[in-house]
Amino acid sequence: MSTLGDEAALAVKVSNYLAEQVGHAVQVGTVRRFPVGFSWLTYAVPVTGLKGGSDTEELILRLGPDYGLFAPYSADPQALAMRSLEGSVVPLPRAYWSSDDPSVFGAPFLFCEKVSGDAVVPWVSANEPGLEEGYRKQLATEFIDVLAALHRVSWQDKPIAALAGGVTAENAARVNVEYWETQIGRWAMRSYPLAEWGIRWLKAHCPVAPRVAIVHGDYRTGNFLEVDGHITSILDWELVHLGDPHEDLGWASLPMYMGGSKLISRLAEPDWFYSRYSEKVGFEVRVASVRYYQALSLLKLAATHMAAARCFEEGRFNDMRMPAMGSQIATCLRQMEKTIEASA
Amino acid sequence: MNNSFGRTVDGMCATLRSEVLTRLDDAFARGQVFGVINLLNTFKVRADWSAGFLLEQIGAQRIALDGVAALLEGQPSAALAPALPAGEVPQPVPIAELLAMREAGNRAIAQLLGWLDAQRASLSPELASAVETKLRTAMRAEVSIELKNSPRPLFAEMSSGSEA
Repeated sequence: MSTLGDEAALAVKVSNYLAEQVGHAVQVGTVRRFPVGFSWLTYAVPVTGLKGGSDTEELILRLGPDYGLFAPYSADPQALAMRSLEGSVVPLPRAYWSSDDPSVFGAPFLFCEKVSGDAVVPWVSANEPGLEEGYRKQLATEFIDVLAALHRVSWQDKPIAALAGGVTAENAARVNVEYWETQIGRWAMRSYPLAEWGIRWLKAHCPVAPRVAIVHGDYRTGNFLEVDGHITSILDWELVHLGDPHEDLGWASLPMYMGGSKLISRLAEPDWFYSRYSEKVGFEVRVASVRYYQALSLLKLAATHMAAARCFEEGRFNDMRMPAMGSQIATCLRQMEKTIEASA
Repeated sequence: MNNSFGRTVDGMCATLRSEVLTRLDDAFARGQVFGVINLLNTFKVRADWSAGFLLEQIGAQRIALDGVAALLEGQPSAALAPALPAGEVPQPVPIAELLAMREAGNRAIAQLLGWLDAQRASLSPELASAVETKLRTAMRAEVSIELKNSPRPLFAEMSSGSEA
């Protein structure tokens, strides 16, 4: 793990690794770490001579450190998803090299294309004005259409089928709840009866999925890039899995991502979102399932914050955003309870 | 410390914002500074100066004042001495003990939730509902108290490294 956090040492290793992959020497410039992301470390890596000439292009390198939030990591899910979606209408960076072998950079890694564009920040202050109307509507339309396109992908004959693990329309919700229950068992540093109450409710009210689809797992503003109102890339595929497409709807519509507005992910009016999505995806959105997955998403978010608190407490690293996340567990659990009450 | 805890925290946050962030270019480092500010704001609403050293000082005073009172007992000039504060030095409850008590309570509530689910069919609906209401009231209270003592999180600032 010695290269993590040491950009200069990392650049040397990247240069050696890439030279091995492309069969000739390359030059790696100053490696820059991005402040985005709470889990994988993301770097911009300028590389000269990757294709043999003197051109410089920037790659993105993602590292999943063994001290990270959800460690131990694997690059496989995101690499499989990105390779499965290459050439589809879902815009995303092209995945290049990836491996879970820690001997290369000290952690699982993924190299991918750097796509141009800006991220729309999901967390804004109450005084922040909303997005300009025409821009918002354009972005919202693409946000919905891309999600529907993702959920329409016939994944069974693609690399991501390796993640199927026996998930069916009938058991998708239950498998998901049990997964997060296990994670809470790993991460929680104390008892949270409200989380336990939520898990009991979720297990007792599992919906049947309209289909098993590729679920992004963290689909929201902040996780895509845009240029002039057009989405250029969907990012952060680390939580991708196969499951009920309603899960992405539930996650995208969490109050935490509304930025003080009544719009899903600061972009779309809920009714319009669901009707347009239904039309594009080829099944009718079930409001009860969206509510169910909102509650599960809030439990997931609480679990993530528990992981952050533990990570910091164990001294695995001193990222000062971790204790701030840990302070949000109560917010998520209270919101989860309200969501369940509204569903009952 | 002679300054109040809250004012000290405000001062640290203001200094980080006006004197450090204005001179710091790296976006990740700026995000970390906002993380520190976020945590300091949490301390402001949840913490105070440690009771330990105050109790130590109060204990030393107590020994002196009680000692003086004993020495002056029966002395004619004692009538002119100022009235001395009386009372035992309070015993602090260690935070670790309180945390353990809260954990034991939460475990009991969680076990009762499991018991209720398993036994619901054998209980009268009124009793089951009354038990559930009591447990959920306690669970709600726990998070409400926590939220009442939480500042607005600075996620936008921490992610972007810029003032929101």
